[in-house]
Amino acid sequence: MLIDVAAFAGVRLGPGTLYGALSRLEEDGLVEALPFEGRRRPYRLTDTGLAALRGRLTGLNAAVSIGLARVGNR
Amino acid sequence: MKRIIRLYPSAWRMRYGDELTDLLEEMPATPAATADLLRGAVTLHMRAFVDRIAPRLVAAGGPSMPTHPLQRHPTASALIAMLITAPTLIFVAVSFLAYQLELPGMQAWLQPFMDGLARAPRIVDLFLLGAPFLAFLVAALPLVGLRLERVDGELRMTLALRARTLNLLVLAVCVVVGGFLASHLLVEFLFERP
Repeated sequence: MLIDVAAFAGVRLGPGTLYGALSRLEEDGLVEALPFEGRRRPYRLTDTGLAALRGRLTGLNAAVSIGLARVGNR
Repeated sequence: MKRIIRLYPSAWRMRYGDELTDLLEEMPATPAATADLLRGAVTLHMRAFVDRIAPRLVAAGGPSMPTHPLQRHPTASALIAMLITAPTLIFVAVSFLAYQLELPGMQAWLQPFMDGLARAPRIVDLFLLGAPFLAFLVAALPLVGLRLERVDGELRMTLALRARTLNLLVLAVCVVVGGFLASHLLVEFLFERP
């Protein structure tokens, strides 16, 4: 997950930050843990988490589109 | 680095400790990762504390506040605090105008009072210095409720805070006045005394 985040967002999360966020997301019902696969434990988005993520990305997308349009006019 | 996991809240550690341990075994132990782990432990303890306290503050308008006289009369407490700190406030304000801003005529006008103060008993100095701190307590007490109770065999402490504009204003005045005077005396004591 750390590698994935670093690859697509360019941010290197620390282990404390990752698990702090993960526990909060699980507590809020936005992600859920799946059974262990060997030593790794995968997580997946819940339906609530998916809706929340979609809403957040849609909002960001709107902000990015407006921002780029304004920057492009200069 | 794995030892740091012991600093995490026990309930959290039971749920995520093994996963985090596995992750740490695959990572190099860099100073940044160590600092991040420590920060995570502090954050989770704070979160656990807030999660424990917040529902009690929210439920039914918060826990019942102890009702000592100051809490039943917060406005009166603020006014009493202002009266206590008023001499120091006036002293600091006038001294500031005379010696920092050097307003014309102020130093000459103030000199007899300063001479009198130099001859006055030590208790007057102590009062001027201590008054803002005493006033701070008087103004702050109505804003703080602390209750200790035993529930199911364990000792439980509940802290309730409330914000009242007048009291907060007086607190700010006390901090500014007391801080100014204390820092001034400290500088004088450390650097200007022979």
